[in-house]
Amino acid sequence: METVEQLVSFNHIHVQLNGGAPWGFTLKGGLEHGEPLIITKIEEGGKAAQCKKLKVGDELVNINGSALYGSRQEALILIKGSYRILKIVVRRYFYLSLPLSLSHS
Amino acid sequence: MTQIENMVQYDNGYTEEEEDYMMQEEEWDRDLLLDPAWEKQQRKTFTAWCNSHLRKAGTQIENIEEDFRNGLKLMLLLEVISGERLPKPDRGKMRFHKIANVNKALEFITSKGVKLVSIGAEETSAKEGLLLWCQRKTAPYRNVNVQNFHVSWKDGLAFCALIHRHRPDLIDYAKLNKDDALGNLNLAFEIAEKHLDIPKMLDAEDIVNTPKPDERAIMTYVSCFYHAFAGAEQVAETAANRICKVLGVNQENEKLMEEYERLASELLEWIRRTTPWLENRMSEKTMTQMQQKLEDFRDYRRLHKPPKVQEKCQLEINFNTLQTKLRISNRPAFMPSEGKMVSDIASAWQGLEQAEKGYEEWLLTEIRRLQRLDHLAEKFRQKATSHETWATGKEEILTQKDYESASLMEVRAMLRKHEAFESDLSAHQDRVEQIAAIAQELNELDYHDVASVNQRCQSICDVWDHLGTLTQKRREALERTEKLLETVEQLFLEYAKRSAPFNSWLDGAMEDLQDMFIVHTIEEVQSLMAAHEQFKATLPEADAERQAILGIQQEVQKIFHSYGIRGDLTNPYSTISPETILSKWDKVKKLVPQRDGALQEELAQQHGNERLRRQFAAQANLIGPWIQTRMEEIGRCSLEIGGTLEDQMTQLKQYEHVIVSYKPNIDKLEGDHQLIQESLIFDNKHTNYTMEHIRVGWELLLTTIARTINDIETQILTRDAKGISPEQMKEFRSSFNHFDRKKNGAMETDDFRACLISMGYDLGEVEFARIMMLVDPNACGVVTFQSFIDFMTRETADTDTAEQVVASFRILAADKPYILIDELRRELPRDQAEYCISRMPPYAGPGAMPGALDYTAFSTALYGESDL
Repeated sequence: METVEQLVSFNHIHVQLNGGAPWGFTLKGGLEHGEPLIITKIEEGGKAAQCKKLKVGDELVNINGSALYGSRQEALILIKGSYRILKIVVRRYFYLSLPLSLSHS
Repeated sequence: MTQIENMVQYDNGYTEEEEDYMMQEEEWDRDLLLDPAWEKQQRKTFTAWCNSHLRKAGTQIENIEEDFRNGLKLMLLLEVISGERLPKPDRGKMRFHKIANVNKALEFITSKGVKLVSIGAEETSAKEGLLLWCQRKTAPYRNVNVQNFHVSWKDGLAFCALIHRHRPDLIDYAKLNKDDALGNLNLAFEIAEKHLDIPKMLDAEDIVNTPKPDERAIMTYVSCFYHAFAGAEQVAETAANRICKVLGVNQENEKLMEEYERLASELLEWIRRTTPWLENRMSEKTMTQMQQKLEDFRDYRRLHKPPKVQEKCQLEINFNTLQTKLRISNRPAFMPSEGKMVSDIASAWQGLEQAEKGYEEWLLTEIRRLQRLDHLAEKFRQKATSHETWATGKEEILTQKDYESASLMEVRAMLRKHEAFESDLSAHQDRVEQIAAIAQELNELDYHDVASVNQRCQSICDVWDHLGTLTQKRREALERTEKLLETVEQLFLEYAKRSAPFNSWLDGAMEDLQDMFIVHTIEEVQSLMAAHEQFKATLPEADAERQAILGIQQEVQKIFHSYGIRGDLTNPYSTISPETILSKWDKVKKLVPQRDGALQEELAQQHGNERLRRQFAAQANLIGPWIQTRMEEIGRCSLEIGGTLEDQMTQLKQYEHVIVSYKPNIDKLEGDHQLIQESLIFDNKHTNYTMEHIRVGWELLLTTIARTINDIETQILTRDAKGISPEQMKEFRSSFNHFDRKKNGAMETDDFRACLISMGYDLGEVEFARIMMLVDPNACGVVTFQSFIDFMTRETADTDTAEQVVASFRILAADKPYILIDELRRELPRDQAEYCISRMPPYAGPGAMPGALDYTAFSTALYGESDL
């Protein structure tokens, strides 16, 4: 069996949604729950889906220029405070799989 | 014309002479008085005379007797002498022809009124002779016409005429009647018988009645008449003739003498008239007139003189003839009157001929002279006109003052043109001399209009001299002007050469003097001032150069003024005018002190700045460290373990108060900084602290103190909220402090990990990453004490609000694992009920009823998720 080492890395993705609530996505987690703030659902045909940039599993790190410290409460307030334009930055983790050895032992 | 008249007269005279001469010969023959010598002479003379005329007709005679026999030459002679034409001669050799020709000649003579006394026809036959005799004798009688010896005699008038002719006393012819032929005849027969001793041989009636009477009979009868009369007649004639002759001779001679005298006079008179004319040496003015004179002379020679020559010759001949005649007739010799001697005439004639010769020579000479004069005069005219034409306008050209306002190039061009003119002038010198020479010759040859020639020549020479003078003057003026303009040229070049760099220097100086400087240090100002001083040191030299340059321009102006050149004063080699130089110089002079002032100001400014810097520095150097100290104090405080959070708070509040009280210093520093900024001071070597540093430090201090206080407050809250005991807190603190290796109130990632491990957390990478995300959501790389506490307390606190909601729903659902719509509607407000109904998923667990909703999933989702 091959041994792989897994490295985790991430990208920050900047998204701007226009038009006002509802934005078409669901947030789960938050510092209150001891979990990162994750997008768990993107509603079909919604504004988030239309922008084609967001994916389920993206972690919210910045709303309208304000860096989040992880609290869902904070995020909700910021999002609900947005009127027509919502700018969010999400962090997307991905794993890099690197084969350690190419030859079978 | 008198000459011809003379000739006719002469001829007439001579013809009579011939007749006389012939008669004389008859007489001598009869008297046997012959002088052979004289005869020879006369013959010779007469022959010569005839020949002199016959020559004109192109013929000659040798012998008088022989050569005139056929009458041709006689007729010719008469034609020549008279100048008239005779009837055409009969060109025959027969006697009849000869007779006819001689008769023609005699008729001609007769027609001229010359009486021919004797008959000349020498070779007539008896009948013809007789007939001729009858005709001759009856010629005066008009009604008698003897043509023959028959019918002509029928009317008897012929006989009567014959008788009456010889013996007019015997018959009264006037009373005769032509128609009475019988009477006439009988009368004639009667008289003839009675008085003339001629028997009646004819019968009157017979003659009358016969148409053509017997020719022979009449002839015979008539011949008796002839014999009767001719003989008697001859005798009577002879006697009468002798007398007449003698008288006639006398008369003739006298006439001849008169004639001679007259002719001689006339000739002499003519000579006398003509000679002065030939001796006249008065010259005509024009050649035409002289040629006319020559023509007149030629006419004289050709037309007027020959007759006179003849006259003279004739005169001589006349004289000789006369003398001979006189001698022959025993008369005394003819002595012409005084002055009319042959010798006189000869000498007069000689004189004439001399005069002629002289005259002709003179004419030709004069004509030649006049010709030459005309030619010369014309030549003079042509040359003079041509020269005058050339000279026209030259004076105006030479007196032009065009060089006064011309440029150097133009003056040079003028000089070249002038050179060309000078050579043209010298080329004309020859011509002027020629003209003068011609004038001289005209003078020598005594030209009639020599005065005007001389006048013209004089004016030409005067003008020529004048032109020479003007030419010289112009040359001098042009050369002088050229020199001056060359000098000016040089000066202009010099000016251009020097003014350009000087102008650049001026421009540079102005620029430098107005140079905006930005300096930040006293040293910089001082170096600028030093440079300025250096510049000032160069001014005297520059001033000298300026004066020199302007001096050049003045020099040029002086030249222009003194020599009256009116040309263009502007320098073609330079665009920099003296005015420009002057104005720039003045500006430079003004700028120098200005710069001095500016530099001084700047220096003062810099000094001021330095003061400000020091002031600021002094302050900042105090404030900086003070802030640092406070920061350290605060840091230490937050790291304190001993003492309660409240103690910490108190301490911090104290610090805060101190800090706030210190603000005025900051403000003052700000004020100083403002000044510095306003003075555009950008650096300060007296301090390492910038205002920004201080500001940032101060704000940081303020922030730090506030945060730290806030931190403590939060800790207090958290402690109170989470019910963390002081011991717990201490423990947390201790751990944190321990792993806060850098002691700055925050843990680094590795520190945190170590910390977790020390607390028993065995974390894999993923787990640790997740935790990191929680405690350091902003990925700052550090964990604050607050986050640490939050994390730590969350692990132990009951905060699962989702479960609380589930428990609540369970109560409403009566402990069922699902809830029914009715129950929701019954227990919750309508909106929330509908919300739940619409959001709750159907329950799919065991014991599910239709309409059962899964509240657990809903709650989890509700609290675990937020729909946005």
